[in-house]
Amino acid sequence: MAKGEISINNNNLKSRAAFLSEYAAMLMGSGVHSSRVIRNTKRMGEAMSMEVIISNFHKSLMLYASDRSSGESVNILKEIPSLPISFEINTNLSRLSWEAYDGKLSFDELKERYRKLVARPKLHPVVILILSSFANASFCALFGGTWYSMGIVFSATMIGMSSKQKLLSKGVNVFIVFALCSFIASIVASTAVIFKLQTSDIAMATSVLYLIPGVPLINGFMDMMEGHVILGMARLIDAFLLVLCIAIGLSGTMMLLRNSLLL
Amino acid sequence: MEIFWKTISNYNVSTWKIQVLIVLIAAVLTFRLYRRPSPFIKKAMMFFMVLLNLWVAVVYYFVYCSERPYYYIFAAFWIVMALIWCYELIRGRYKFERSYKYDKISYLLYAVPFIYPLVSLGRGMHFPMMTSPVMPCTVVVFSLGVLMSFSKKINLFLVLLLFHWALLGISKIYLYRISEDILLTICTVPAIFLYIREYIDSGVVVDSKPGVKAINLLLLGTCGIIGVVFTYIILKSFNIF
Repeated sequence: MAKGEISINNNNLKSRAAFLSEYAAMLMGSGVHSSRVIRNTKRMGEAMSMEVIISNFHKSLMLYASDRSSGESVNILKEIPSLPISFEINTNLSRLSWEAYDGKLSFDELKERYRKLVARPKLHPVVILILSSFANASFCALFGGTWYSMGIVFSATMIGMSSKQKLLSKGVNVFIVFALCSFIASIVASTAVIFKLQTSDIAMATSVLYLIPGVPLINGFMDMMEGHVILGMARLIDAFLLVLCIAIGLSGTMMLLRNSLLL
Repeated sequence: MEIFWKTISNYNVSTWKIQVLIVLIAAVLTFRLYRRPSPFIKKAMMFFMVLLNLWVAVVYYFVYCSERPYYYIFAAFWIVMALIWCYELIRGRYKFERSYKYDKISYLLYAVPFIYPLVSLGRGMHFPMMTSPVMPCTVVVFSLGVLMSFSKKINLFLVLLLFHWALLGISKIYLYRISEDILLTICTVPAIFLYIREYIDSGVVVDSKPGVKAINLLLLGTCGIIGVVFTYIILKSFNIF
């Protein structure tokens, strides 16, 4: 066995390939761009003395794994789970692939570590609510909003974000959720317009920024630039549809306020 | 500003008898909830909250405040709050279970709707051009009191809407110098802290991070910042700062 390779004597090819496909699907679902998923999975396969080829799609991925010593190979088609974007899972799973590559872990240890990393507790919704509200209020300040506009945006984001959390947990369609939450947040922020406060336009425009699908947009562009054109296009279309839903929600508020799409 | 007080005056002249009736019903239902709560009284209180929110939306905003610009947006807020109470009534999750923790604060909150008119009188205003116990801000404070006394399993969305109304109160203090709304602002910040802390402690969300203590600290810091900003705006609006 070469230095740095994981002992595979007791593990069959299929279970290792199944593990790798699950690992790759988890990365894809957590908002990692394609080339990184492929790099990490190949690195892990290398540690198991396997050649790995991955073909990524928007909702599924196909993994081909071949054992270098026996020449046996296996194909696996895996569905990508719909998960919240997590930089923590992204970082931890990337680190895990390096630890495997450095030969620090057996296959069983690797599976155990993976299971523990994936099962780690998520951030409390109230923490997300508070921090995203502060972030959105900061956006308002960045665009020149006054303290009062920032307060309105803070409150609008809290209300919009809590509706988003609630609706998504109920399994409502994500596009409907985005349009609805954009409408809710902007209508709440419209009070700045009603009271004719300074920078009320900034308050209204920034109240929906917490919904912007930044990670899918960036991933889409990165995939396109790195040659994963089909997946990149799919991700970009998905992200643009979400942006369209945000615009629909915001337009609803504008029409209610001014009977026009201009402030 | 002139339209603001004119609409309030019209509302008070035309509805003062009904307002007295609403206050009496609220007092009886609240008393019964404390002393002899029964499933019927709990449902009646929930139904009363739906009607009270609809009253503000329809009678106060649509009928008497239609001269104000964007009155329909404010009416929509109250319709949404009525719908939330209605949803909780139908779903039967909110059971008006007494928490016993914040009784003293909630008694204080129940008193605030009656202090509102006193503050108006103290400012030299006279009936009908003055605040009364059945107006949006007073209903918000009453709702906060009810939620605080019976705060097991609160609706977070409803609480955040009430918080936003307090923020609007701040703008009225700042722009129109309506000092009555200071009461609403003072009541809301600690109330929001206590509600969300209850929500966190209730364990609705399991297996999350950071720990409850850290989340409570974050919440305390956030409410502290909001409190400082509110105080600054209030002091500045009266040229104290």
